[in-house]
Order: sequence, then C-alpha cells, then structure tokens
Amino acid sequence: MSTEFVSAGSLGEALDWLASLGSDAAVLAGGTDLMLQLRRDEQRAGTLLHIERLRELGEVRRSDALAIGALVTHRKLARAPELRPCHGAICAAAALVGGWQTQNVGTVGGNLCNASPAADLVPPLLVHGARVGLESRARGRRELALAEFLLDRRRTRREPDELLTEVLLEPVAPRTADTFMKVGRRSAMEVAIASLALRLTLAPDDATITAVRVATGAVGPVACRAVATEALLTGARLGDAIARAAAAQLSQEIRPIDDARGSASYRRAVIGRVLVQALDDCAARIRARRQRGHGDDR
Amino acid sequence: MRACRAVTSIGSSVERTDSAAKVRGETVYAIDRIEAGMLHGQLLRSPVPAGSIIRLETARARAVPGVRAVITAADVPDVLAGWFLRDTPLFARKVVRYAGEPVAAVAADTLEAARAAVQALELVLEEHEAIHSIEDALRTGAALVHPEWRTYQFLPGGEWPRAGNVATRSVCEVGDVASAFRRAHRVVEDTFSSNRQFQAFLEARSAIGICRGGRYVVHTGHQYPFNVRDRIAQFLDLPQSWVRVCGHALGGGFGGKLDYGLEPYAAVLSRFAGGRPVRLAHSFAEDLAAAGPRDNSIITIRSALDASGAIIGREFRADLDNGAYTGEMLAMPGIAANIAGAVYRVGAARVESNLVYTNTPPTGAFRGVSGVAMYTALERHMDHIARELGVDRREYRLRHLLAPGDALLSGQVLPDAGILREAFDAVERIAPWAGLSNRRQPWRGVGIGACVWVTNPGPASVTLKLNEDGTVAVLSGAIEIGSGSFAAGVTQLVAEELGLRPTDVVLPEPDTDVAAYDSGSQGSRTVRMIGGAARAEARQLRAQILERAAHLLQAGPDDLELGGGAVRRRDAAAGQVPLALVAAADLFQAGPIAATARYAEPPPAFDPTRSSGALMPAFPGVSYHVHLAEVEVDPVTGTVRVLRYVVAQEVGRAINPANIRGQIQGGVAQGIGLTLHESLRMERGHCVERSMATYRLPLSVDVPDVEVVLLEHPDPQAPHGIRGVAEAPIVLVPAVIGNAVADAIGQPVHATPITPEEILRLIMAGEADPVAAG
Amino acid sequence: MIELRLQLNGRDERVAIEPAETLLDVLRGRLRLTGTKESCREGECGACTVLIDGQPVASCLYAAQAAAGRRVETVEGLAAGGELAPLQRRLIEAAAVQCGYCTPGMLMTLTALLREQPEPTAAQVREALAGNVCRCTGYAQIVEAVAGSVLPAGPCGRAAP
Repeated sequence: MSTEFVSAGSLGEALDWLASLGSDAAVLAGGTDLMLQLRRDEQRAGTLLHIERLRELGEVRRSDALAIGALVTHRKLARAPELRPCHGAICAAAALVGGWQTQNVGTVGGNLCNASPAADLVPPLLVHGARVGLESRARGRRELALAEFLLDRRRTRREPDELLTEVLLEPVAPRTADTFMKVGRRSAMEVAIASLALRLTLAPDDATITAVRVATGAVGPVACRAVATEALLTGARLGDAIARAAAAQLSQEIRPIDDARGSASYRRAVIGRVLVQALDDCAARIRARRQRGHGDDR
Repeated sequence: MRACRAVTSIGSSVERTDSAAKVRGETVYAIDRIEAGMLHGQLLRSPVPAGSIIRLETARARAVPGVRAVITAADVPDVLAGWFLRDTPLFARKVVRYAGEPVAAVAADTLEAARAAVQALELVLEEHEAIHSIEDALRTGAALVHPEWRTYQFLPGGEWPRAGNVATRSVCEVGDVASAFRRAHRVVEDTFSSNRQFQAFLEARSAIGICRGGRYVVHTGHQYPFNVRDRIAQFLDLPQSWVRVCGHALGGGFGGKLDYGLEPYAAVLSRFAGGRPVRLAHSFAEDLAAAGPRDNSIITIRSALDASGAIIGREFRADLDNGAYTGEMLAMPGIAANIAGAVYRVGAARVESNLVYTNTPPTGAFRGVSGVAMYTALERHMDHIARELGVDRREYRLRHLLAPGDALLSGQVLPDAGILREAFDAVERIAPWAGLSNRRQPWRGVGIGACVWVTNPGPASVTLKLNEDGTVAVLSGAIEIGSGSFAAGVTQLVAEELGLRPTDVVLPEPDTDVAAYDSGSQGSRTVRMIGGAARAEARQLRAQILERAAHLLQAGPDDLELGGGAVRRRDAAAGQVPLALVAAADLFQAGPIAATARYAEPPPAFDPTRSSGALMPAFPGVSYHVHLAEVEVDPVTGTVRVLRYVVAQEVGRAINPANIRGQIQGGVAQGIGLTLHESLRMERGHCVERSMATYRLPLSVDVPDVEVVLLEHPDPQAPHGIRGVAEAPIVLVPAVIGNAVADAIGQPVHATPITPEEILRLIMAGEADPVAAG
Repeated sequence: MIELRLQLNGRDERVAIEPAETLLDVLRGRLRLTGTKESCREGECGACTVLIDGQPVASCLYAAQAAAGRRVETVEGLAAGGELAPLQRRLIEAAAVQCGYCTPGMLMTLTALLREQPEPTAAQVREALAGNVCRCTGYAQIVEAVAGSVLPAGPCGRAAP
C-alpha cells in the first residue's frame, strides 16, 4: 500500500483534508521527524498532508501576546528579534535543534506535535507559560496550555482532525531572565541527554526570588515543569544553600530512565548541577542589567 | 598548506588527480553503480547470539512474487574460509554464533520483494547460553564458541598456539621478569579497558555479483580486491582464477573494507538467479551492527621500578575480543611484544596477548588496530608511574626513552630511535610543557605520549605502460581509498621518474584478472610499497623510452633526459620528442612500451625465538610519533572539549605535505571520536547503538585544528626514504586525551571511551559535598 | 505514479515518481544524478544535502513532492558550463577532498553559506558545517578552503634534521 501525498495551499484546505482523512493523515511540515519515523516503520500514514506552503502560519507576531506561527522554522525562531529581548531561552533552544539542514525546515509545530521527551523547544516554552492554538473544521479554534497539550511520550491532545496553528507566550515581568541548557556529548546535533529551562524573577533587592519556573527535558516521558522545585525556590533568598537544596529536590523530582544516550543516575546527577548553573546565570544577568541602569526595563 | 599545480612532485603539495571528479559529483562509487537487469539481494541474519538451527524453511520465501533465488548453507560447499585461520562459514549451517550472522540470502526483482522474502523465511532456533564477554570466555569451564576448533586449518601452516576460546596466544619473554619484580623498589599496576569502534565510512558496504559460465565477477568498493577474490574462492571451493574482482572508488574504508563483506553473497546469489547481476547494499545501521569494528580489549600492565624510578621489569597482558569468527585479528596478539617495549626502556619483560572468541559480531581492522588500545594502556600507565614517583610526566618519559641502537623486545634494533627525542623537542617548541602543565587553570589539563609505528610490508607488484598519447597507466591491484596514496603519492613518484605532470599518470581501477597480486591499501603501505614497485619499473620504462628515443634524436640513451612529457638531449641541442611520438614510433615494429616490477623489503633483523604466536614479529618501516593534547572538562556535566592538539611525526620523506597533514588531521579526529564521542557497546550479544544518531561521530565543531610538525629522516631502506604515514595518527589520541583529562580532574581514567558519566562520577567522588548526589 | 515538476539546477525537470518518495531517491534512483550521496538516511550526516530555494536541506528526509515548483540545486549544477566553480577549486587547492563522499554535501552547505556570508570566519564555517559529517579529513582543510588558515605559524612546518 503506497502512501499518498497531498499539499494544502491554504489553512482552509488543510482543515478540509484533516476533516476528511482524520487519523489516516500525517501532517507533514519539515518532515525531519515524520519522514524518519515512516522510514523506520515507527509510524504509518495513508496520506501525507503537506502544509509547508501555508505562509500565514510562518510568522512571529506581536499583538496582545507574542504569537509564534506553527510553521516558524527553528532557524527563524533562533533569530527572531521579537523573542531575543525577553525570551532568549527559546531562541537558544531553537539554535540547538540539529544542524543547519534541520533548522531550515524543522518547525515549532512539528517539534511540539512530535512530543519527543527530549524536544528542545518544550522546556523554554513551558517556563514562558506557552499555550497552543488548535483549529478544526468541526470545532473551530481552541487553546490549551502546552503542559496540558503534551500527554506522554509521542502523545498529545491534538485530535486527528486538528491542526496546531500557533504558540502563544505570556508577557514577561521586569527583573526577569531566562536560560536554556542542553546536556549532550558533542557540541551540536545532539538529542538532549538532559535539558533545562529556567525563568527567574528577582525582587528589587536582587536576591529574593519572586517568581521562578523550572522545566526539564529528556529526563522523563514528557518535558515538564518541576513544580516542587519551583515551590521550594519561590520566595526564597537566592544563595548557595537554596540552590543546593533545589538541585537535590530536582534530582528527586525527575523521572529519568536508562537508555542508549545516558543512564538515569547520570541524568539525576547532572540535572541538579545544571540548575545551579542556570540560577547563577540568570541572577547574574538580572543584576547586571540593574547595574547598567536599566532599572525596571526588560 | 595549500595544494598546488607544480610540475615537479616530490615534496610539493600537488593537487590530487581524483579531486576534480569528486567535487563535480561525477565519481562513481561502488554504491552508485547499477547493472542492467540487476536484482536486489537481502540477507537473513540470526536474531540470537548463540543457538542451534532447528529448522529453516524457504518455501514461503520462494513463493513471494519477484523472488529469483533463495539460498542457504545447503546450497554452498561445506567449507570454512578465513584470512589466516579457516573458521568462518558463508552461512550458519547448524549453529549460529553471533546475533547478525548470515543464515540465508534472497534475490528479487525489487528491494521490497527481497525484504518480504526474508520476512517469509522460517527460521527456528534453539537458543544456547552465549559467551558475552572476554571474561566469560576465559573462565574455567566456559562453554566453547567453537567446539571443533582443533579441526580448523591454519593457513600459513604448521602449529599455532591456540586452544578452546583462545584463537591465538602470543607470548614474549625477555630476561628474568620474576627476579625483577622481587628486587623492585616499587610496583605500579593498572588495568585498562577499551571499547569497540565502528569505522563509520559514509559509503556503506555494497557489492554486485555476476556469475556467467561458472566464473564469478564481483564489483565492489574495497581496499583489498585480491583478498575478496581469495575469500570467495575459499567459500565456493574454487581456484582463485574463477573469481574476478573489480575494485571501484570507495567512500572510506579505514580497515573496515579490508576483509570480505557482501561480495560472496552477491556472487552466489547471481549463480542461483540464472546469472543475473545481484546487488546487495547495507544501510549505515546495518554496517554498524554487522561485523568488523575495532576490537574491545582488557589490558593489564605491571611495572617493577628500581630506586631511581627506572622500569626494570614489565608484565603486559592484553586480551582482545575476536568476536565469533577470526579475520585479520589473528595477527593482533603478536604486535603486543614489540609495542610493550617500543618507546621506553623496560628491562626484563613478559608479554602475553590472547585473541578471545565470544558470541558477538566478529571484530576486524580499523586504523591502528589493537595497537591503539595497547599504547593507550602504556601511556596512561606511564603517567601513573610519574605521579607515584612525584616526577614531572614529560620529564619522566625523557629520562627513559629508548636511545639509538636500543632494541625492541623482539630484538629488532632501532638505530634511529633518537628521533623520539627530536619529536618531543619539536612538540616542546610549539607547545611548551611548563606553561601548559603549570598554568593550573581550573578544569584544564594536558597530556603527552609517544609511539613507534610500523609500515605494513606486504609485497607489491605494478605494471606501467606508456600510452600512445604519452600518458602512463599504472596497473595495480591496490586502489585509491581516499588517502591520496595513489592519486597523489604513487602518481607523484611515477611522474617524477618519467618527467611527467601528475595529470599524465592514469590510474585504472584494479582488476584481479589484469593486475598481479597486491596486498591492498592497508597499514600505510601503499606509497612505500606500491611506490617502490612503481619507481622500479618506471626506471625500466624510462630505459625503454630512452632507447627508442635515441633513434629519433640521433643520440645515445645516456645523452638523453626526460622532462615536461618529452625526451630531449642533455647537451641542450635543439629538438625534443614528445612521449606520444616515442610511443608511436616503431609501435608496429618494436611493440608497445611497458614494464612490470615487484617490490618487497627484507624484514628487519630480529630474534624469532623470543616470541610465539606472532604473525608479524618485526616492525618494518618504523616511524616515530609524539602527541600532545590540552583539554577542558566541564565540571557541571563532565563533558570534555579538546582545546589543542599537537603532533610531531617522522615521515621519512614528505611526498605531499598537504596530503600528510590531511591524514594526520583525519586520524586525530577519528581518535577524538574513539575517546570522547563514539560508543559501540554490546549488551547480551546485541549492539546498544543502532544508528548514527546514537553512534556519535565527531563534527566540525568538535575537532580542533591539529598543529603538525613533520620530521624527515629518510629511511635508507625505502624509495625516497618514505615511511608509512597515514595509519599512525590515531594511535596516541586516547592515550594523550586520557592523560589530559586525568590531569584536569586530578584522577586517573582507565576506560576508553571516556564518558561524561564516568568523569562526573569521578568529579563528584572528589567533591566534599557534591551538588545533587541524587 | 504521479508526475513531479521541479526546477533542478536551472532547468525544468519532470519525472514520474511514487507519491511519497524522498527527494534523495528521486535524484539518485529516478534521475540517476548520483552526485548527491546516500549515507545515514536519518538526517544526521549531511551527505545528501541539496539546496531548496537556496537553503540546505537533507534530501533523505524531504518528500520529493514537497519540492514541487521550487528551485532545487545539487552538486551537478555547481560547475556552470563545465567550469569548476570557485568554491570547488578552493576545496581542491586546500587538499580538502579525500575519499570525497562527503564532498557534495559540504559543497552545497558551503555554497549557501557563501551566498549569505561571502567572507565567513572559521567559527562561522564550522557552525554552518555542524550538520555535515566527514570521516576522513577532520574538517580543518575544508574550513580553510573557505575561511583561510587559523593556525599561527603555518600548519605543516618541517623540523631540520
């Protein structure tokens, strides 16, 4: 049985195809995940629904919120001027997804819908409170928190007739910095052994943590926020002791497995250390901005 | 170092003659080839590492539409083949000995049909307890991987030290080791383990076989076409001349395309498919799992030191994993003896090395072979000794280097061992040790090491013929494998001898029907050995050319010289004759101009009574090397970055410096992969790493620019004084990076690869209050 | 089978393909343009890199029909009128071609880089090439072909005997 291929010229056309094909269709954007899974027989599809031509989904917009179209490529995301000031962690993650070839065609939507436990974009999107927009012919548009959208390894709440159209970001408070760190053996092209995103907001005293979000990737079946670690840090005075306590908490909170890339014990050991470094980095940047006289500037 | 278009070759970085076709994308590699009407082949491979074949039913497979042939052990002679030891069947007959062992093969009109047919084969196995590791294999009472080992034929003939799961044992004893250890002031001991490494040539293995009139023709991208011919002849129990192997451009080999691969299967399938051409090709993942990687090993070293810190006694034991069948690996244990005493004086020594059967994919040759693991052990052990004695690591080495006239443990004298000191000095000038080792930047470290390496001495034979247009063709059984040994090295030697431009030297692809036997592109032998033969007969050719030209120029042959693609008088009188004219003149009276020559070197003198079980007991074509590495360890994650890498290498005579630099840079990159990134682990007989995503190759952002110094002390034995160049650059990499990492974290490392997991574990063990002891 | 139309190396090309074939298989198998290489088939090695609308893409993971109507460039199109392109010459002169199997992919990625950045630094070249694996050269001479030498005192010195 040979796989069919159809190419949508507009969002409406794409939704029509999805309405009629449902789970028989596999949505094809850049294809870097899907084509590989088809080749390895990890996925079957009666029809490839090609959506790369939907230009309307390929932009980063700032209206009420920052909106990233589902077809924004990793390359575009890495360089997006709208994101660099306050959402640099997202840019950093996008720049680390594979090499130039992958970045040119791989998309945000593809990364999220593929829902790999090691998906690089998920942790930084989570710490920025991302929400996803989904559309279908039958039910119109709905929004969902990213954390709710991701169910399990390779499983999301996208219905077979739905298309993920955009990702929406929260505004960012003053005195906030974010960071993304990826652990791998080589300097590029790695599927993360462990990854971590942090968004830190400090009080005007430059030490009290008023808000913090921590998200990890590749250390559980799905990338997710570490709520217990966040609770431990919130309201605390940033320093060595609390950083170590948070690191120990995070090591316990994650659910890593042994796999070909790394052992569970390494993941537990490394994630805490990465958190300590991330806290240092973010705090230093917040303080430096303050010293440069940016005050409440973002 | 930039390549140039100079006419004179030796010592210039002349452009390789194969580069233009490659940059155009016009080079046809073996995997690019098709034959009209060709069928597609697939193999059925054993899913378990050890077991008996209860049943193998082929009826359903034969019934798949488009299937033209299905073959099993029943369809081929009941013989065993092998490079030195005939222990390998073409298909598993009654038992399987490794996961991945071929059990059957099919050929069909399409790849899909072939795959469907393999799925339709019914294989019923009764699994046995398998031998998974060297330790398992050597345990008393261990099951035998080859219960019939005694019946296997050893090709060089005579007795050979082997028993049970030990396919070869090589032992060397010099002096009174027991006494040395009794007298010792101090004993230092280490055990090192080293893992497998896949050659990872980007062009996967493939072959096309065509059987016509009982003769088999095979097309393949291979380093050693004559070896393929001989192996097919063995498997099919035929005289070698019934098999013709045509070699084609290959996209990387590194030793992994030295033994047979898919060729015998393609050949036999063609016979059973009515003579239609059959193509088999692996994917990268299939090559990764199939066979032939660098062996894994366990090496133990003990050194007895006297009060001054000199090594007065050494025990060295290397156990090497053969996998389930023996290929080139039989030659490996024998190199331990020379390596164990190759760089530093060791006094009395006992060296033992065992090649051990396990139920895993057979191991094979990969640049540097088992010598890499052996030098890794030796040089990390030297750092250990220096640290125990409280002596600077470089200083300790210099104190105990072999001196000119000292001998290897085999008794082979190294008259030029003083080059070792020169190499250390050369590295010192570029990268002063004191600055690197005392700087004490946190988490940075430096390592140094030295080795003596060898040039494979396989004899060569080459034919040169003068084409009627004045170009010269080099007919040989060896091939350009990518290193430039042919497209630059040999080409330059011939061009130099005959006064030609390198682009006027034509290199036809090897054909075992046409060329005389050649030992293939391996062990850095090509430029020296083939070049030696080529130069010898270039001289014969030259004599013929000058004799014929003498008539045309009204002069005696001694009054003439070659240059610029022509013959002219030395006395600079007017007139010259292009080679094309020389070739054409008298063509129908005197015939064409051609010459054939052999080249072999007598082995260096050594004492054959010192070692047993050594196929290569001497080190011909010796070269000397010193490497230095500076690394930075990330204390958060345990990952390692190589900041700086320096190589001083003795090359005899640099025929093409830019090419040599490329070999050094490439060898170091492969070594960085072996040491830090790549991993080919076996778990209960199966590979853990299954694709390029998990078998991580070093990338452009992972490899520093290697700083290179070439030393040139011509080897008096060799044409132009050449020493083999291309294999050695990988040998010291795990040693010096290991030493640098140990320096950076303050703790020794005993394994290769050096993983972030292990480094982080060591770092945390050293921390008073580790972050997230989790 | 359906008909695919694309612009290939400046010419309009039409070829009959299976609907979901990869661009790599169409180039090598249908059009017999074997300059683009197959290796890992997982998007890890870059040997199959072609340019689509000027951007490097791994053709082993790209559906051929997704390239319909677009501008595709392969290594065979670099030498205009048979003359080697300057980049091809530079690779030869830098001794950056050994077995040559990674070379077409390298050339395509570097072509795209030089169009964006005519004088890249060595670091920029390395970054751009992170998705192109080479097993032979260790990369240094490839980088130098484009960015020039970075080593202080000449990369290949000779010590006096």
